[in-house]
Amino acid sequence: MKTYSWLIRRELWEFRATWIIPAAIGVVMVVATLFGRVDVSAFDSPLATMNMGSMFLVALAALFYTVMSIYSAWYLMDCLYNDRRDRSILFWKSLPVSDTQTVLSKLVMGLVVIPLVFLIASDLTSLLMAFVLSVRARAVFAGVLWHPGTWFQVQVLWLYVLVTTAIWYLPVAGWLMMVSAWAKRAVMLWTVLPLLVVYLIETFFLHTHVVHDVIGRRLAGYAAVAYHGNEQWISQNLSDTSTSPVSVWRFVDVSGFFSSLEVWTGLVVGIAMIIAAIQLRLRRSEI
Amino acid sequence: MPALIEAKDLTKRYGSHVALDRANLSIEAGKIVGLIGPNGAGKTSALRAILGLTSYEGQLTVLGREPFKERTSLMGDACFIADVAVLPNWLRVDHAIDFVAGVHPRFRRERAVQFLARTQIAGNRKMRELSKGMKTQVHLALTMAIDAKLLVLDEPTLGLDILARRAFYDALVNDYMDETRTIVITTHQVEEVENLLTDVIFIDKGRIVLDASLEDISTRFAAVTVTAENGPAARAEKPFYERHILGKSVLYFENADPAKLSAFGELHTPSVSDLFVAKLSGGVA
Repeated sequence: MKTYSWLIRRELWEFRATWIIPAAIGVVMVVATLFGRVDVSAFDSPLATMNMGSMFLVALAALFYTVMSIYSAWYLMDCLYNDRRDRSILFWKSLPVSDTQTVLSKLVMGLVVIPLVFLIASDLTSLLMAFVLSVRARAVFAGVLWHPGTWFQVQVLWLYVLVTTAIWYLPVAGWLMMVSAWAKRAVMLWTVLPLLVVYLIETFFLHTHVVHDVIGRRLAGYAAVAYHGNEQWISQNLSDTSTSPVSVWRFVDVSGFFSSLEVWTGLVVGIAMIIAAIQLRLRRSEI
Repeated sequence: MPALIEAKDLTKRYGSHVALDRANLSIEAGKIVGLIGPNGAGKTSALRAILGLTSYEGQLTVLGREPFKERTSLMGDACFIADVAVLPNWLRVDHAIDFVAGVHPRFRRERAVQFLARTQIAGNRKMRELSKGMKTQVHLALTMAIDAKLLVLDEPTLGLDILARRAFYDALVNDYMDETRTIVITTHQVEEVENLLTDVIFIDKGRIVLDASLEDISTRFAAVTVTAENGPAARAEKPFYERHILGKSVLYFENADPAKLSAFGELHTPSVSDLFVAKLSGGVA
């Protein structure tokens, strides 16, 4: 465990953008709140304000989450390639740290640590923005944005997103790490090219589209698996936002997610890819 | 006592290229061994195999372990500096010390700090701000602070000026080396290390050409400086190498009778570098 904590620290030293990017987003948002136009007249009832507040919190979290996903994917693509390129792998491998520990620490960094850092940044930003707004708009917002229920819901939603995306996107992370551990150059190209070739072969020679469907589903299907989403469900459950607070609990589909076969097959494939990345790491040294 | 490093038919192929060709070698504890060979001879492949960085064919045990399968536990007892300074640009000196102290049970922090205190390097500097020589010094400080049974150095002083090089080898012999340690060192600057080696291994084209202690060398090998008139008689004793300097010939013999040879001219034990050239060139230079 001690080794893992040092390995994570090592990643944070190397990838300083892990905290610089969320800090920069936070600063931009807070500065915008300080100097932007505030119009609170639109909110006529406490309930509307409260729903506005929770939407605002979710929107802010979504902004951080989107940037985080892109950054995390880039990190996973780079993390087993960078030290081979600058040859520092020869230093890391001179220490009693196994390749399994190295690969797992980087996986945890990409799927847990980076999302958590962004979550903390998102929370701090929302608190600062709420504070600024409440001062500027004379406390209209304060009780709403700092409403413990809303704030707590966003936290739980983030944690749900964190756990479920880590599981759902494990095969994607595994693929990125495999390529990162294997490629001698042009990691991004090698990430896409083999999939593209298989897709083209399928399309033009086999006239099937299995790969296209599987990859497309994996990249775009998360929301459908983890949340209640069809239109009928929404019209039945969310038509009354004017009379009761919007609750995130009503979107989240915990039992649906964990009983989905797709989730578990993805998990198995993801674990296999991580094992493959460890094996590649064992055999590949500097470029 | 079993050998610290034992290789039997050690072979490493890269595609059709054979970097190590059934090499046999044995290194015992307490020695300072020079692994010496021209570029591309297989030195690096041999070291990579010994350190568990690459797969191989044949048998190899290092500190009682199979290196490739047990690299992690091997690195608890062995350490290495591979080639030039490879510490990453983004790493800070004090973070490097913290990290190694964190993951290595045999790292003695105060030794690293003490070693660095003798240099001009501040703890908050990043590697990218340091010269190549300074980076090497940081790496040396980290490595020498590890209580390892085996230390492998691959061209450790590359990029260092002569003062730093001398200081490094002095520290290696005086502060680091004792009878429980073993050092394997490769360098192309043979002259610089030959007075601290106890053993040499010559490697050429993937094969071990010579594996001998320095005492062996003084009994097995002899060089005679002969004048022109003694030349034919001396050559009849079958020297394995001949070299011409300033009108005289130096003839190199293996397992010859010293009493006989001294009749031809001035007899001396060849230096490691001369022997290296003699062994690897073959014939007349």
